[in-house]
Amino acid sequence: MDLTPLVEAAQNSALSEWMRTSLKAVAIINALHVLSIVTVFGTIFVVDLRLLGFGNLQRSFIRTHDELLRWTWGAFGIAAVTGVLLFMVNAVTYHRNTAFWLKMATIVLAGINMLVFELRTVKSAPSWDRGVKPPSAARLAAALSIVLWIAVIVFGRWIGFTKGYDFTIPDDVQFDFSAPE
Amino acid sequence: MHAFAEWLQATPLSVAIQSTLWVTPVVQTIHIVMIGIVFVSMLNVTLRVLGRMRADEPLPDVWRRFAPWFWSALGVMAATGLVLAISEPIRQVSALSFWLKMSLLAIGIVSALSFGRAIAGAVAAGAANPTPSGRARVLAVATILLWIAIMVLGRWIAYDVEIWESWHLA
Repeated sequence: MDLTPLVEAAQNSALSEWMRTSLKAVAIINALHVLSIVTVFGTIFVVDLRLLGFGNLQRSFIRTHDELLRWTWGAFGIAAVTGVLLFMVNAVTYHRNTAFWLKMATIVLAGINMLVFELRTVKSAPSWDRGVKPPSAARLAAALSIVLWIAVIVFGRWIGFTKGYDFTIPDDVQFDFSAPE
Repeated sequence: MHAFAEWLQATPLSVAIQSTLWVTPVVQTIHIVMIGIVFVSMLNVTLRVLGRMRADEPLPDVWRRFAPWFWSALGVMAATGLVLAISEPIRQVSALSFWLKMSLLAIGIVSALSFGRAIAGAVAAGAANPTPSGRARVLAVATILLWIAIMVLGRWIAYDVEIWESWHLA
């Protein structure tokens, strides 16, 4: 499937044009994106640690899960909307960027991991809701979740360092890193 | 300050960080993961003060659970932040966002310290499950906004000219 026409349409849209020409739009959207991603990671991390057996095992897991995942979902929604906007600003460049696709693939994997947990593993939660270490399926989901969400942040940051110049630097190229005069 | 930044940027350590391509993205990633832990630890405690999270647990227990995460992650942030500042000191000192962020960070640290002390004081006075005052609730909301501002300003160091225009310090 060739996404190029769609990607070009996104980049040529009036909204995209406005974001590129506005001085502050990208900076504000970008800050919201980071803010929401760290909230997604942080809230999921607390739930994952509880699944791994850290923290107060006497406290209901279901309660911890329900209280925190509201915030995760809210933040994920903001991250997705701001992410789409940031993509639109330079859609053609991101579309060609390896780190961007690795990030998207990792989000999908994190989503599958979460779906399996929410549709299967959590069904048995009443039997390990408090006082006992969660079963191995739950601990595996938690470990995967931590690794995958950190990978999402790694690839996200990597986009910023590879977009626009996604190529290998030849060995004979020397950079001058000295302070400007 | 600019002279110091220029000197620092030309030191072998700074040049080594700048010229090793993977260092900055890796250190920034650790910095971002840590702010997730700092922010959400703070959020759990402040939302508990507001009665919107972990209402079944006494406030001192919630603070004891999250404070070690808050302080350790903050320590890693300081270390990674220092590496990032050493690699690009001129950019940091020229950024109004950087100075605003550091000022708000100082307020955040002092307020977390005094909050911990107030909790310890209440527990020592025999209040195992103190009820937050109206003032504590206002401060909880202010604390959430403070940490949001710290994160936003952190991201804005890279957009300092766009955001502050002539207030940029270069």
